[in-house]
Amino acid sequence: MIMADNGVLPQGTVSGDDRRAHVAHLVDRAREGQMDAAAELVTELSPMLWHVARAAGLSVTDAEDVVQTVWLRLMSKLDTIRTPAALTSWLVVTARHEAWHVRAAARRQQPADSEWLVTIPDPGVGAEENTILKEEQRQLHGALRSLSERCQELLRIVAFVPRPDYDSVAAKLGMPRGSVGPTRSRCLDKLRSALNGKGDQW
Amino acid sequence: MVIAKGDNSAGGKPVDWGLLTQVKDMFETADPMPRDLPERIHFALALRDLEAELARFADTGEEPAAAARGAEESWTVTFDSDSLTIMIRVDANPDGSARVDGWLAPPQPHQVEIRRADCSVSVAADNLGRFVFDSVPRGTARLIVHPVRPGSGEDAERGSFAASKSVMTPALTLLPRSRR
Repeated sequence: MIMADNGVLPQGTVSGDDRRAHVAHLVDRAREGQMDAAAELVTELSPMLWHVARAAGLSVTDAEDVVQTVWLRLMSKLDTIRTPAALTSWLVVTARHEAWHVRAAARRQQPADSEWLVTIPDPGVGAEENTILKEEQRQLHGALRSLSERCQELLRIVAFVPRPDYDSVAAKLGMPRGSVGPTRSRCLDKLRSALNGKGDQW
Repeated sequence: MVIAKGDNSAGGKPVDWGLLTQVKDMFETADPMPRDLPERIHFALALRDLEAELARFADTGEEPAAAARGAEESWTVTFDSDSLTIMIRVDANPDGSARVDGWLAPPQPHQVEIRRADCSVSVAADNLGRFVFDSVPRGTARLIVHPVRPGSGEDAERGSFAASKSVMTPALTLLPRSRR
């Protein structure tokens, strides 16, 4: 196995096998109670969980809580997680579940706010933040907002899933692989159409 | 582009990684995770097995965060818990690390720990409740006071703390500013 104990977790264009070996090693060490390994996993994979929670429409504070809760919970689940793909899947599914739980609780606390019930929470980009986006990113954001809530959430989640774990996570999110129009593929198609509808080259 | 094992097309149709990457980049810019969140989670993980009473910033009329941000070379902060008061003074060492002097009241030779996300150091307080950490790396840390075991009759009699749980301060930023 190739691994670098103190190295940065390989990802992106780095071979998926190297990354997997490294993550597997970190999981093994975290299971043995080595906190630096757990900390590296947290550093590496928390952004993904942040976007899962925000995609579910949580506030900044609630999203932070959910990310932390997921990691605390993982610590007692490490014995059952054997592969990096299983780790990613478990994290994403648990974060999503937790996020919906928190959202439902918030909803129960605000029964009078009927508008809140029907409004899709802003998935994270307000007018202010928009100003820091490049023009093409603003168009992308606009195109995303024109999609269904489900597509918006789905695309935001899968965009942050490490590529080698993609299939595993996609399957867990109820987006089966197969020839009959997987949802994520449909959502991507819709996004592309929405972008093209703007008349700009991508 | 390297297509690693496990990169499969969805339903016979290749996944548009380019577009997904753009979605990722856009959200990273528009709604980034708070930068200190991982470190706060490291703390939560490191402390999860510790059953400790959380001490409060004592109401000294001074905002502790403001004190910590001040340009002075040293600052003092006091924490209260039901069983214990902890006062610390933080000074900058010439090498950029922090020196922490502390006092416990009531005075007891408890074990005092500075715990960071990645390491921890412990010292014993003396009979007057004083303790010193000569050199602590700058950054976020918590102070945890572990009760000494009530070995002697005197200790056991001394009140609840000797037999009770640890006391932990909120997270502190030791020397937040870089020193010239």
